Amino acid sequence: MLSEELLEPLQKRIAETDHPRELVVDIMLALQNHHGYLSDQAVEEAARLLDMTPLEIEELATFYDFIYREPVGRFVIHVCDGVVCWMNGYDSVLNHLFKKLGIKPGETTEDGFFTILPTACIGYCDLSPAMLINGRAYGPLTPEKIDGILDRLRSEAPPPRMAR
Amino acid sequence: MPKLKIDGLEIEVERGTKVIEAAARLGIIIPRFCFHPGLGPVGACRVCAVKFEEGPVKGVQMSCMTDAQDGMVVSTTDEEAADFRKHVIEWLMMNHPHDCPVCDEGGHCLLQDLTVAGGHGIRRYLGKKRTYNDQYLGVFVQHEMNRCIQCWRCRRFYQEFAGYRDLGALQIAHHTYFGRATDGQLESPFSGNIIDICPTGVYTDKPSRFTGRRWDFERGPSLCIHCSLGCHIITSARYREMTRLEARFSESVNGYFICDRGRYGFYYTNHPERPRRARIRTEEVSLDQAIQTAAQKIIQINQKNGPKAIACLGSARSCVENQAMLIRFCRVQGWNEPTYFETPTMAKKVKRAVARLDEQLAVSMREIEKADFILAVGADPVNEAPMLALAMRQAFRNEATIVVIDPRPVFLPFEFEHLPVAPDDLEPCLTALIKGAVHRSAAEKMGEEALRFYDTAPAEYPDAPIKNRMVKITQKLRQSRYPVIICGTSIVRETTPDVAADSALLLRAARGRAGLFYLMSEANTFGAALLSSEEGSVMDVVESIEKGSVKGLMLVESDPFRSFPDYERLKQAVDKLDLFLVMDYLPSFAARLAHLFFPTQTLFEMETSFVNQEGRVQFATSAYRGGIPISQISAGGHPLRVFRRDIPGGESQPAWQILAKLANIISLPGREMFSLSKNELWSWIAKEYPIFANVPIADELPDDVRVHLAQGREKLFPSGGQIRSGGLSRENSTLELVMGDWTFGTEELSTYSKYLQQVEKEPCLFMSPKDASMLGLKDRERITLPLDKGRLEMELRIVDTMAPGVIVMPKHRQLAWQKIEKWPVKVAMGQIRK
Ligand code: SF4
Ligand code: SF4
Ligand code: FES
Repeated sequence: MLSEELLEPLQKRIAETDHPRELVVDIMLALQNHHGYLSDQAVEEAARLLDMTPLEIEELATFYDFIYREPVGRFVIHVCDGVVCWMNGYDSVLNHLFKKLGIKPGETTEDGFFTILPTACIGYCDLSPAMLINGRAYGPLTPEKIDGILDRLRSEAPPPRMAR
Repeated sequence: MPKLKIDGLEIEVERGTKVIEAAARLGIIIPRFCFHPGLGPVGACRVCAVKFEEGPVKGVQMSCMTDAQDGMVVSTTDEEAADFRKHVIEWLMMNHPHDCPVCDEGGHCLLQDLTVAGGHGIRRYLGKKRTYNDQYLGVFVQHEMNRCIQCWRCRRFYQEFAGYRDLGALQIAHHTYFGRATDGQLESPFSGNIIDICPTGVYTDKPSRFTGRRWDFERGPSLCIHCSLGCHIITSARYREMTRLEARFSESVNGYFICDRGRYGFYYTNHPERPRRARIRTEEVSLDQAIQTAAQKIIQINQKNGPKAIACLGSARSCVENQAMLIRFCRVQGWNEPTYFETPTMAKKVKRAVARLDEQLAVSMREIEKADFILAVGADPVNEAPMLALAMRQAFRNEATIVVIDPRPVFLPFEFEHLPVAPDDLEPCLTALIKGAVHRSAAEKMGEEALRFYDTAPAEYPDAPIKNRMVKITQKLRQSRYPVIICGTSIVRETTPDVAADSALLLRAARGRAGLFYLMSEANTFGAALLSSEEGSVMDVVESIEKGSVKGLMLVESDPFRSFPDYERLKQAVDKLDLFLVMDYLPSFAARLAHLFFPTQTLFEMETSFVNQEGRVQFATSAYRGGIPISQISAGGHPLRVFRRDIPGGESQPAWQILAKLANIISLPGREMFSLSKNELWSWIAKEYPIFANVPIADELPDDVRVHLAQGREKLFPSGGQIRSGGLSRENSTLELVMGDWTFGTEELSTYSKYLQQVEKEPCLFMSPKDASMLGLKDRERITLPLDKGRLEMELRIVDTMAPGVIVMPKHRQLAWQKIEKWPVKVAMGQIRK
């Protein structure tokens, strides 16, 4: 169940909107932030809040790259999978991440810190090859830069709630 | 109108026609996966590419996305276009499992056809294929997602066309998955259509899975008789068994689709308990023997008690031929005419509706799609006539306003204005809306009668909130260009069909155009009303048996034990009879009690016709020759290795032929003899009922013909001065019981279907929150409902979408509700208890 604290502002926004459906992405993100990912339960909750069916939520949830229907690490690394990054070294960025973290696309590190998700163009061609970690863009990337970023994130953040 | 040339042939089409449709009219079928004439274009699959050689568009383009325009020269055979299509098919086939031999779609698969026709014969892709997990989608539809080519037809039908929200497109790109959020029965009562429209074998018909390829079946055009709409269907039969139903296109009635009640209701014809032999009491005899015995008994009764001592009940599920022959039979014998209706009220309502429908007012179901204002009175489309809900939804998608005045918790798969008012308030609400939208001067112009109707009709809504809600809606009706009134005949008052017709006349006078669409209870209610001249009802017959004036009863495809409100009383009456004769194809209760039983043929075994609620005479061919399904005789093994001339269990005959044979034995010398020719019967019908005169009696499947009584002979505005104002009869201490239909579980024939039985919901009693709180009852509590002749126990459902002052219950197969003395039923409030 959702706490009143979380629910109330959401319900208020929904009540103020003519077409509550328009808020579906916001609601999914809010629930995702709360649960860590958009759990099955969260899909049901979103459906209830917006008077939609779970299927309708699921259609959208599984369409968007930034809605996670499975548990993810504390940091989700969206590696840009767009044409410009392809030209500027996407492959080596990805390979370096795989090697360094010991995981494949869609997987999460044992300690629960990182998930790698290649993502269709993130719009930072000026920083290519680029990646997005929890909403922040990094680039142009080199193996050294990546090491620095990941080490810093790991040392600064508290350990994840649930290691997998 | 744009004129263009396709493959050297010229054609002129209406503006907005797509090139793919223009070509189809020339008989050139351009390959398509995503395009479907019922759903329109979307441009998802790219297989309809053609070459535009001259005109405003040039090069290889999608013919489903391009409007036909003047001066276009199109080639479908152009090399570049053909090569393009070939590669589209190749990439669509890349992940396809190539499992045609074990796929039930094989043989009628569009993907299979086009793969071969498109010239993609050899697989080049050797990589791994993308695979999916299938889902359990319920009783009707088998899911095999690996075969999907992402054409989007299923989702577009399911959500956009039909308005249900539990099947859709999940994931993205080449992972796109069509299914539900979780495993489970599809919620839409139109779900079976995805089987018909999926161009590959993702959705196949589960009950008939692996029973044959298309060419194994005897297939033919037929009609659905599970409600009064009469949708067109295609039957498939094999091994003496009706196996599968699909939708058949009909320009005027159902378009491309049908509902699941229609698709899976036919199993009564294969029912393992279907009586297939004639019987004298419990002893099986030959049909001829039974006819002889019946003739003797009838002659005895006639001699002893006179010709009026035998009564006949026909039914509205019987075809025109059976209904007409029964009437003819009774007339020749000098008996009372057969009765087709349960109560005098029902007879009157239906007859009024039939009398008032004329050529100008009557609209077909497809025309409803074009209405911009729909006003439904006493109608619950999804439950009473499912496909009507889809027609209304198409109007809704074209921005029509839709208002439903009905006490029941009506659900429709789109937004509409519901006025949940008690049955007594239906007419006042309707006339209030009409008077609000039509100026008095319009009535004045139509003459005295119209004015009297206008001036005397009440204009009152039961409460202020409804009244306020109607202000904006009345405004909309005032501006409407094509309003249509839909009027049910089941729960409304006797006068309502007339009020609806008069209202439609006023609307037409005011708006220039208006339509009228009645709903009736069964497939041939309209036919029964046209043919029978008697106002009698089952109730009268029961009374005559009780009085002793009727000694014999003949039922022709009728089971009054289902519909008569007082089971005990009917049973006692039947027990008193000297002769109880039943002709039917159902293992009905009446059939079990019969002294003499005659097995009749179902719709699927005979050439026949039905008149739908719009007055449309429609025709069906026989799907197969009948007999006991081989699967039932051999229990899965090899059928018996014996030769015989007849069809095992194939003794059933059309009821009208049995009647003709019977008549020819009992008729006194000199009386008319009946022939067994259908054409002869039809000439009698045409002679006795001139409105049937232009019904074609061809051997080929004739086109539908509309028959309407009215044609200016009917007195207009008869309901002037008759409409009672609502609320007068509203008492606070009683609740009126309204009995309605459910999509599954109430319609007689389909309740014999083992597949529909699996999706029936448990019967329950609906009550408004207001009444429930007064009684201190809670949702989902089990309650006892006292009726005149006993009590019923069931679950209570409290719903805020229904009228206060009313309780609603389905005439459900699983509910022994026949404990009612007479309609209407009022239940004292305090008597409904936990
Ligand atoms: S499941 Fe069938 S209808 Fe639906 S998208 Fe796939 S191929 Fe088309
Ligand atoms: S709407 Fe009525 S006639 Fe049409 S398929 Fe359904 S049950 Fe049959
Ligand atoms: S039929 Fe034209 S793109 Fe699919």
